[in-house]
Amino acid sequence: MIPHRRIRWVQTLARQYLLKYRIPKEFNILQYNDIELLPDHSILLLCNHFSWWDGFWAGYLANVYFHKDFYIMMQEDHLQKRMYLNYLGAFSINRHSKEVIRSLQYTAELLNNTDNLVTVFPQGELVSNHSEEINIERGIDYIVKKIKGNCQIIYYSAFIDYFESLKPSVYFHLLNCGTNRDFDYEKVKALINKHHKQALKCQVNVKH
Amino acid sequence: MIYPKKNRLLHGILYLYTRYILKTHFYQINFNAIETDPEKSILLVANHFSIWDGLVLYWTMHRLSDKNFHVMLLEETAKKEPMLKYGGAFSINKTSKDALQSINYAAQLLAAPQNLVLVFPQGKLYSNFVSDVHFEKGIMKIMEQAKGKFQLIYAATFIENFQHKKPTANIYLSNATNCTFEDIKAITGSYQQHYNTSRQQQTKIVL
Repeated sequence: MIPHRRIRWVQTLARQYLLKYRIPKEFNILQYNDIELLPDHSILLLCNHFSWWDGFWAGYLANVYFHKDFYIMMQEDHLQKRMYLNYLGAFSINRHSKEVIRSLQYTAELLNNTDNLVTVFPQGELVSNHSEEINIERGIDYIVKKIKGNCQIIYYSAFIDYFESLKPSVYFHLLNCGTNRDFDYEKVKALINKHHKQALKCQVNVKH
Repeated sequence: MIYPKKNRLLHGILYLYTRYILKTHFYQINFNAIETDPEKSILLVANHFSIWDGLVLYWTMHRLSDKNFHVMLLEETAKKEPMLKYGGAFSINKTSKDALQSINYAAQLLAAPQNLVLVFPQGKLYSNFVSDVHFEKGIMKIMEQAKGKFQLIYAATFIENFQHKKPTANIYLSNATNCTFEDIKAITGSYQQHYNTSRQQQTKIVL
């Protein structure tokens, strides 16, 4: 497992680059809905994984909406290819090694600090944006049960649409999944899948 | 109504420009090769969710067949992008009586076997995530007028990024087995079938 080596000033520079230059250059609109954010809670952010940009969007939301310190769990081989992300808060997981438990524990430890936000892709692989099912791996259950502090669990379904623009727009459909105190794996899994199906329907009627 | 104009130089520039923006914007453009009938014109029916789908289909059809490309556009788009008429674009104004003229023109084009007409029967931009396709009636009139002279091809396009920074466009093409329909519902249903299978294929992609 590769732990994060976050350097605050490097992350600040990267944030400026992403928020001021890269994201406005690549995307037309990034739109998200309001949800209830609990004070004094860290955030476990779960998202659908379908593109190279997913992590950057999560970083964008962590800065402009959640206002938390950003960390992200990545597949070990992916992180090894882009080690610069290690300085921006990325740490690794290798699902095929015994160290997988260590990565999960490490995530839970990060979430003990209420200033932190950890992004995890619960599907564990890249799945088409058109997919109607969101698979939540068991690891999420393990992470949440190991958190000692207060943590809010948030899920979003992101969809890409173009409409009148040549640049894509990203629509985030956020969902508050409660806290680690009242977490139930099966219930949250069902809730997320229901929300995702609803979000797909809402996406069709999105204003443009 | 705006008619297509022939100008080899401007068409050449438009072709090169389209090739340039598609290459810079997309990682890949994938499509499945289908057979085209040299004796018949082509009526290409596609879903409409962005400005890219016209350009992507122009590029795809150019690689699939050597027929003259034409596309029906909304009048406001055709006015905003006047260069497009050199690439075979003609306009339709759905709210005016001119609409019939555009429909007749599309049918006339289909009478000549060297032509290809791309139509977006949804009539406006919808999300790429629609599950039920809605068609407007104009397509029925075009088909009735050009009966038996064209080959009907369905296209369903989906754009996704996956592991790359740039998106990949997947275009699913199929030859319609039947070209005569009783009403607009029958055409929509037939296209919907193709759209559903394409969407299922797209959904199955896991990396």
